[in-house]
Amino acid sequence: MRQGARVAGGMLGVAILLIGWQMLAQALYQGRLIAGPVGIVEWLGRDPGLALRALARTLGNAAAGFALGNLAAILLAGIAFLWPRLQDLVTGLALVAFCLPLIATGPILRVLMGPGEGPQIVLAALAVQYTTLIPLLTGLRAVPAAWLDLIHSYGRGRWVELAHIRARAALPYLFAGLQIGAPAAVLGAMVGEFTGAERGLGVLTIRYMRDLDVPALWGVALLAAGASLAAYWAIGGLARLVLDTRPPVLLAPPMRQLRTGRVVGGLTLALAVLLLWWGGLWLTGLNPFLAKGPWDVLAALVWAPDATQMRAALFGALRESAGLAVPGYLAGLAAGAGLAILLTLLPGAGPLVMPVAVALRAIPIVTTGPLIVLFLGRGALGTITLVAVMVFFPTLVACLHGLRQAPGHILDLLRVHAAGPLSQMIHVRIPAMLPALFAAARISVPTAILAVTVVEWLATGRGLGSLMALAASTSDFRMLWSAVALITLLAVLCHAVVAGLERRVLARYAPEQLRQ
Amino acid sequence: MTAGMTRRGLVAGGMAGLAMGGLGLPRRAVANTPVGFQLSWLHSVQFAGSYIALDKGWWREAGLDVTLMQGGPNAPVEPPVVAGTALVGISAADYTASAVAQGAKFKIIGVAMQKNPFVIASLPDNPVKTPADLPGKRIGMAIANTPVLRALCSLNNVDFDAITIVPTQYSAQPLIAHEVDCLLCWETDLPVAMAVNGIESVTMLMADHGYSVHSQTYIATEDSLASRRKELVGLMSGEVRGWQDYRADTAAATDLTLRMFPDAGLDRKTQLLQAERQVPLMFSTLTDAHGFGWWDEESVSANIETLALLGYKVTPDLWDRSILDEIHAG
Repeated sequence: MRQGARVAGGMLGVAILLIGWQMLAQALYQGRLIAGPVGIVEWLGRDPGLALRALARTLGNAAAGFALGNLAAILLAGIAFLWPRLQDLVTGLALVAFCLPLIATGPILRVLMGPGEGPQIVLAALAVQYTTLIPLLTGLRAVPAAWLDLIHSYGRGRWVELAHIRARAALPYLFAGLQIGAPAAVLGAMVGEFTGAERGLGVLTIRYMRDLDVPALWGVALLAAGASLAAYWAIGGLARLVLDTRPPVLLAPPMRQLRTGRVVGGLTLALAVLLLWWGGLWLTGLNPFLAKGPWDVLAALVWAPDATQMRAALFGALRESAGLAVPGYLAGLAAGAGLAILLTLLPGAGPLVMPVAVALRAIPIVTTGPLIVLFLGRGALGTITLVAVMVFFPTLVACLHGLRQAPGHILDLLRVHAAGPLSQMIHVRIPAMLPALFAAARISVPTAILAVTVVEWLATGRGLGSLMALAASTSDFRMLWSAVALITLLAVLCHAVVAGLERRVLARYAPEQLRQ
Repeated sequence: MTAGMTRRGLVAGGMAGLAMGGLGLPRRAVANTPVGFQLSWLHSVQFAGSYIALDKGWWREAGLDVTLMQGGPNAPVEPPVVAGTALVGISAADYTASAVAQGAKFKIIGVAMQKNPFVIASLPDNPVKTPADLPGKRIGMAIANTPVLRALCSLNNVDFDAITIVPTQYSAQPLIAHEVDCLLCWETDLPVAMAVNGIESVTMLMADHGYSVHSQTYIATEDSLASRRKELVGLMSGEVRGWQDYRADTAAATDLTLRMFPDAGLDRKTQLLQAERQVPLMFSTLTDAHGFGWWDEESVSANIETLALLGYKVTPDLWDRSILDEIHAG
């Protein structure tokens, strides 16, 4: 009975939502900006084969990229864990690969791989690998010290530690990473299609945007968002099926911070990146007209005759983009952590809020961009909001997982003393959430940069995004590679700042995270 | 060089193998020379002449196995042509000039759009009919096109600073929503989309006001011009024939396009109108006299002048008519 009433209530809610949406669509500019559900269903009915073929192609590429990227992340996490000396280098290189701006890598991948699905798959893989690697590394360390001491007292090494304790402890974090990756893979595949793919949802998006076919455009967005949502839920369901244990008590002695080797680590990473950059160009034999090495970029920015103009253009664009990315990043983090706390306090709101949150992130930024710009204006607010939306989602997912990791025994203890949900939250859950929040904060540095450059490229035509698109279309490859180098360098530096902050906070609240 | 070719061949071959294996695409066994042809945008009637050449088998008869490589918003044309993935690309005089300034050795070997397709589109209640109407207006465009607007202003003695540039995405929406008074766009896309959606618009073709930049130009490298002439002649001769057929029946060309690319999401009404509207840009008394793709010295000097306003210094050497000469001689 009660189940029936709830279903009826839900259906009524959906019906009201659909009617309101249809009316809003009609009211605003006679349906030329927002498509209502009627128009979208009409479009789907007109040529379902076209929509399904495009969906299958994009999803196929996204899935291939998702699998490749996550496999790479798991392998890298294993390597980083078994050889701790390599961890900084591995995460550093993964970060660099994640920071490479799509706008610049897309055309280069297309030239390297020729016609076909190559660039779409690679961009999807690049978009997911890092967001799996980082939570996974966090999870590998989220282990009670006593268990490790037990293993060590039997004289067993890191391999046994990894296989028997840490791999299992890392599972919830792996699932969090996979969930975050699902929408990112779809977006990566769609943006990859912009480099000259024959078919897919991204191709249709461009077509319908030009043709002013608003119902079709929204139909495509809905398909992409629906597919991302389905993947997100499927991974969530699998996680619930697999994870049956309650989180264990995490108590570890505070560790002294290891400061030595930070500078050496940074230098090693820089050297490795330069070596890969130079070696990659040599190996692929890319034409020097298109391919610029580290030396070319340095020359272009420092001693070439037009170096002053290059620097002025690049840093001007950088200032513009940073002014939008930083506030959006902070707002997204605050909103994500805030909502996660709220949802844990009011678990009933979860089923209502989560789909909206996932959909916001899953609807391709390509189609939400113009809409948000319409509502918030072409000024800074629109772009900042879009950046915040992109940062918000991974933060929310990570923080929800983190809050769930609160040690059950301590919660029981608080409950015995009649402590309410709020004081449980403040004293137990929020400290337990901190590692996840910081993992999200680090992951979100490149996400914020990706968001701001994509919006600038597709919607507002300013800043670094526009500069890179223009450089690519006018064959100014010195500028393009300089922009890539600068963006990547800055992302890595910002990441280092967040990581430094993280060490300070975690040393107090989650010392097991710092255990080597 | 040999080592470079081998490395490149290995990597490209491996990747192509992966792509093919993954897709299970059937590969036709042909003895013809494989040739890549990089288009500048998504498949549409914009390239219908090429589709006719492919469909009628004219390239196959010339010993070529042509792959049409679709373009897109993030698919620059020049890199694949430089890299050799494509023998010919569809560029425009300003993009080619920019690439040449960066060290690429390109020549323009054919001009599909004699008149540049850039227009200022506005709504009839607040129209822009001549450049003199521009001051005081808000124009929606990509910031990257600022030099284009500046050039138009200086060609027509219009005060550039009196125009407000609003950076927008490439869509008619900002105009319909009255966020801007006019748009910088192509005659053959956004105004067509508006017309199909029942929105009347006024377009001012910039080419009618001194903006002379050859568009949809065929480019090839100097290397190819020296060593792959036969293929270039075969490709371009198919283009010339294809576009002549296109002009004779744009509706048939549209239907062929729709048939060849069922997954491209093309709308027949939109494509028909676009096909009609690009005819006056591609064909003139000059092409009537000399054939499709032709240009004369007068238009080259006008191009050099406009390109200088855009910040590109070029000489008549950028254009090379030897391929067209060979086609029309033989």
